[in-house]
Amino acid sequence: MKLRFSTTSPYVRKVSVTAIELGLDGRIERVATNTMDPKSDHGADNPLGKVPALITDDGERLYDSPVICEYLDSLAEGPKLFPPAGAERWRALRRQALADGILDAAILRMLETRRRPEALRWDGWVRLQSGKIAKALDQLEREADGLDGPLTIGEIAVGCALGYLDFRFAEDGWRATRPQLAAWYDGFAKRPSMQQTVPREPA
Amino acid sequence: MKLRYSPTSPYVRKVAVAALETGLDGRIERIETDVWNPETDIAEDNPLGKVPALVTDEGMVLCDSPTICDYLDSLHDGPRLVPAEGPGRWQVLNLHALANGIMDAAVARVVEVRARPEDKRFDGWLQRQTLKIGRALDALESRAAAGGLDGPVTLGTITLGCALGYLDLRFSEDAWRDGRPALAAWYEAFSQRPSMQATVPPG
Ligand SMILES: N[C@@H](CCC(=O)N[C@@H](CS)C(=O)NCC(=O)O)C(=O)O
Ligand SMILES: N[C@@H](CCC(=O)N[C@@H](CS)C(=O)NCC(=O)O)C(=O)O
Repeated sequence: MKLRFSTTSPYVRKVSVTAIELGLDGRIERVATNTMDPKSDHGADNPLGKVPALITDDGERLYDSPVICEYLDSLAEGPKLFPPAGAERWRALRRQALADGILDAAILRMLETRRRPEALRWDGWVRLQSGKIAKALDQLEREADGLDGPLTIGEIAVGCALGYLDFRFAEDGWRATRPQLAAWYDGFAKRPSMQQTVPREPA
Repeated sequence: MKLRYSPTSPYVRKVAVAALETGLDGRIERIETDVWNPETDIAEDNPLGKVPALVTDEGMVLCDSPTICDYLDSLHDGPRLVPAEGPGRWQVLNLHALANGIMDAAVARVVEVRARPEDKRFDGWLQRQTLKIGRALDALESRAAAGGLDGPVTLGTITLGCALGYLDLRFSEDAWRDGRPALAAWYEAFSQRPSMQATVPPG
């Protein structure tokens, strides 16, 4: 399999953490991709022009991190990161959706403050996205004791979302009013899969 | 179940069509919600402030249309909208991701114009989204021409139908059908389905 990746994308990180947790990491060849480079050829693998994109051994092109992660899960033996239909599945998918929503808002905020021409930046947009992030974090704080169960895609997504906030918006100090979530993340971030995938700017 | 909805959201339409196709429509109570109204109470159900959001009979809140559809698909005994396993599952989820990406890019264009002050709009952003839509449509035209969209209704084709319907609603001037006869013919037939007819957005 081949994975189109960037070292800063939190959606890519979800895929990488999933692959490591499942023991599939060694089967994935990585292709560094800069989606902002107009000359990049990644559109051939994903017409939407995004990373992550996975090219399977059958030549199938998969994108969107939830799909790629579930595909990897289907290849691995052992406990499932995507539980079969039932309460556990909805809990995991719901949590992933909440975490992905935090990421969507955080990416929009990052684009606004880093990529948009300065004269066209608008504080109202930053506030709207920051408000979504804060409310979703408050929700996770209320559910934090549920994060300690068996590992699913939900916790992986939450871990990657919090890691991205630390990477891009450390000044928010998200931990200040969310002690339980902070304590959980402190433990979770020590997993080898998280340690090996800490985001960094490309060299 | 309760569904927070807006009559023009393509993600909501996806859920509504899925509910009709699986015979679950009668079990869903609808609550119209204007997410752009500053007084909206959507965050009480979805901290991300978006529609659709589904409140299940057990009181669990699912936000994100893919998760909601995955849930609905587990509640009925008919043919599944997403095959439970095998290559068909990844093909359907991949078509879903591609069509959903068209929605994301189209909604981003609408939001850029509607939600921001006029002097803070960025043409580069609009162009980037338009390019994504064009590339995705071209990939879908090839698929349609090869018969890849034929067969029983799935979450993939439902999402594609709703994405194309949304382009007609918001960007009819783009004339997406030009140069894409196979996709246009597919949509012409698909949009006759009762589930699509019952959910046409108000123009
Ligand atoms: N929903 C997608 C989001 C992927 C995404 O937005 N990736 C960003 C990088 S963090 C990207 O490639 N952006 C380039 C672009 O949108 O043009 C997923 O879960 O994989
Ligand atoms: N990924 C979500 C997207 C939902 C979405 O973006 N909905 C729009 C309406 S079309 C919305 O509620 N936007 C409000 C906002 O972003 O603040 C899904 O698939 O359900």
